[in-house]
Amino acid sequence: MGSWLDYTINGLIIGNIYALVAVGLALIFGVSHLINFAHGSVYAVGAYVGWACFTYLHLPLPLTALAVIIVCGGLGIAIERIGLRPLAGAPRIAPLLATIGISLVLDQLLQIAFTPDPRALPSPLPNWRISLGGGTIGALDLLIAATGLVSAGVLYFFLRFTKLGWAVRATAQDRDAARQMGVDTDAVNRAVFAIASALGGLSGLLVGMYFNHIDPAMSFQATLKGVVAQVIGGMGNVPGAIAGSLLLGLTESYGVALFGSSYRNLFSFVLLLLILVLRPNGLFASARVTPPEPMTGTFVAPSRVLRIPPWAVGLALAAAVVLPLLPNIAYMLQVMTNAWLMAMLAISLTLVAGTLGQVSLGHAALLLLGAYASALLALDSGWPIWASVPAAGVLTSVIGTALAAPAFRLRSHYVSIATLGIGEIVSLVILNWESLTRGPMGVTNIPPLAIGKLELDSPQAAYWASLAVLVVLALLQSRLLRSHLGRTFRAIRDDDVAARAYGVSLDRYKGIGFAFAGFGAGVSGAIAAHLYSYINNETFTSTVSITALTMVILGGMGNLLGAIVGAVALTALPEMFRGTAEYRMLIYGVVLLLIRFRPQGVLGTV
Amino acid sequence: MSTELLRLEGIDTFYGPVQVHFGLSLSVRAGQIVSLLGGNASGKSTTMKVILGLLRPRAGRVSFDGRDITGLPTHQVIRQGIGSVPEARRLFGAMTVRENLLMGAFARSDRLVIARDLERMLELFPRVRQRLENRAGTLSGGEQQMVAMARALMGRPRLICMDEPTMGLSPLFVDRVLELIQAVNREGVTVFMVEQNASLALQIAHYAYVLQTGRIILQGEAGEMARNPKIRDAYLGGPDAKATAA
Ligand SMILES: Nc1ncnc2c1ncn2[C@@H]1O[C@H](COP(=O)(O)OP(=O)(O)OP(=O)(O)O)[C@@H](O)[C@H]1O
Ligand SMILES: [Mg+2]
Repeated sequence: MGSWLDYTINGLIIGNIYALVAVGLALIFGVSHLINFAHGSVYAVGAYVGWACFTYLHLPLPLTALAVIIVCGGLGIAIERIGLRPLAGAPRIAPLLATIGISLVLDQLLQIAFTPDPRALPSPLPNWRISLGGGTIGALDLLIAATGLVSAGVLYFFLRFTKLGWAVRATAQDRDAARQMGVDTDAVNRAVFAIASALGGLSGLLVGMYFNHIDPAMSFQATLKGVVAQVIGGMGNVPGAIAGSLLLGLTESYGVALFGSSYRNLFSFVLLLLILVLRPNGLFASARVTPPEPMTGTFVAPSRVLRIPPWAVGLALAAAVVLPLLPNIAYMLQVMTNAWLMAMLAISLTLVAGTLGQVSLGHAALLLLGAYASALLALDSGWPIWASVPAAGVLTSVIGTALAAPAFRLRSHYVSIATLGIGEIVSLVILNWESLTRGPMGVTNIPPLAIGKLELDSPQAAYWASLAVLVVLALLQSRLLRSHLGRTFRAIRDDDVAARAYGVSLDRYKGIGFAFAGFGAGVSGAIAAHLYSYINNETFTSTVSITALTMVILGGMGNLLGAIVGAVALTALPEMFRGTAEYRMLIYGVVLLLIRFRPQGVLGTV
Repeated sequence: MSTELLRLEGIDTFYGPVQVHFGLSLSVRAGQIVSLLGGNASGKSTTMKVILGLLRPRAGRVSFDGRDITGLPTHQVIRQGIGSVPEARRLFGAMTVRENLLMGAFARSDRLVIARDLERMLELFPRVRQRLENRAGTLSGGEQQMVAMARALMGRPRLICMDEPTMGLSPLFVDRVLELIQAVNREGVTVFMVEQNASLALQIAHYAYVLQTGRIILQGEAGEMARNPKIRDAYLGGPDAKATAA
């Protein structure tokens, strides 16, 4: 590569691949108002099915593509059946979580079946390239372009001229009205999931061939890119998704040309945020388009809270305090220390997602901020640990709130997308800001926890320190929730329109909530950094964000004790069952799927 | 002329813990215009949802033409021969008027007859013809109401359910809509309409029910109802209030 034409061609090819993913997401969002977070997993399954067809069955490309279409189409129908249909009357967050759960399960099954190691997926196409102006085009490029064009054409024909296509369009505009015309909207959903997933699987196959590389982690990236492209084009807008994908592909390609390949994703997420802030309905939305989400208030399920008597809490706390006194318990202490750190993250997230109703999917970024802040203050500025940890909390609180501020005026799904993007941006900035953060090398030799000269480097000391900080944070948060402020938070969540009408400044209260939550999460990340002694930009990934969300949901959104219970359960239980890391995400996925039977979580939403 | 086309018996409905209907029963005779009257939040639209299968009642039975249709999914209810003009019209705003009308015939497969029916609708609703290729979302409220009625009729229903067909229309359009409802009825389509404006509904209805907080509190021939002092007081604005009746 080298010429601008090459970068343009490359951008369009990548854009075409994104388009196959984004169009599916747009179709699904159109008929069901759901961001299908399992879509990337279907795409990864497509790549692996293709790999298996090539490797084991030695099928030619057309038959392989057919197999991918059939398997992924079927998978799409299954996702609709499990993740969407049973949740028809549930609060909006339920299907969102279900698709995240399905995605965790599928990704993990792929890892178990094919190992997490990358594999080569060589393209069976001839290897010629024709030169064109200053650049070149190969057979695979042409195939990808053709697949994109043909899919778009077939889709257009389908939506315009077939009866089912009309039903899809009508359902997307007004589901109930479509049913009153005699449209079987369940069948429409099924068809849309099948088509979308077939396209997604095909995209996975093509990407695998294009980069000659597949691995289970490609799933999450695909979902992200598809969602970004869709936001650019306007959620649920099919032609918009294609245009958005091409734009995204070009932006990334030119970004890479200018700054290098580690900037690829940074560009997509910055583009995402710009669009969300400046044109939340997408680049192509005319003012006439109705607001895409008529869903205030009902995003989180209301429920009755299970009251835990204070003596039981006290007893549990006492047990936790004396735990290190038991003999032969070093490993368990390590696990439980992690549980307390996760609990700090979980109570922070439950405040934001449950009490404020801003379902954040980027919460792990706060851990990163806190971890880097404290580590760098200690190492580079020579701060003592007792000062660097709280300072890291404050810094995280300030930076985190400032970063999230553009998302304050968004709602429900959009908040989740924006926070997901912000989280990725934080990680990518840390990766690329080498002069401050040491970039991909990470930060090594972080000093252990200490108060003055007293080093807390035994497992017991680390355990007690984490527990103590958690208790203090939890007490503070409990006071906050009981105060006037806590009531205002819930009012905003339940009806932000009414809250605004009463003169509540949403931005200010969301800011206060995020600031409080940011402090707790930052402290958690800071402590973790001193315990681990090494961190890099991937120490806390979006997987951690999803894990924390699972904990919060398991405990009951907004429920302080619930978040702690969820964190302990999901950190400790997999260990007790000797679960290896592989099965851990599988467990989280299953928990997210089972939550449909008790959407309010174990202790109930508050 | 007295066979019963639609019957609701002992319907109880709930939205979560909130009960809307308390043992609601009513029936609609074939060939008639039957009106369901009631104030805000009395449960009128919910009655429509129950008939159309959009909401499943916790108790009770809905039958259409002698067949039990309780709990049938909406698309199958429609296929029994029921058309719907939803509250606030609910056109497919991004589709053209023609596409909206053809969506009305979605449950049918007789293409040629559909084309003929479309032509018939345009004769019945001449205003619609000029807007045929426009996006439905760009039409005025009155025009949208015409399209919504035509769309429902495109399914060749035996019963058409209308939820507040005159809501938000100018007086001129209100009269036109009422005339059209009568015209449709004369062609043999049974009409079940929900109305808040009792005086309007009673002008054209044969029979009427009054719903109050989920219970039928009054019913009778429309003529009698119009003379009933209780109705006049409660729904026609009382003997000396002229504004609402106008
Ligand atoms: N989807 C819903 N969820 C919860 N409650 C609802 C829902 N739809 C209606 N209700 C409630 O049920 C009751 C009856 O509503 P319905 O829409 O049937 O009344 P209506 O008689 O049609 O009123 P209107 O004249 O305002 O159209 C109201 O108290 C309303 O608030
Ligand atoms: Mg109503």
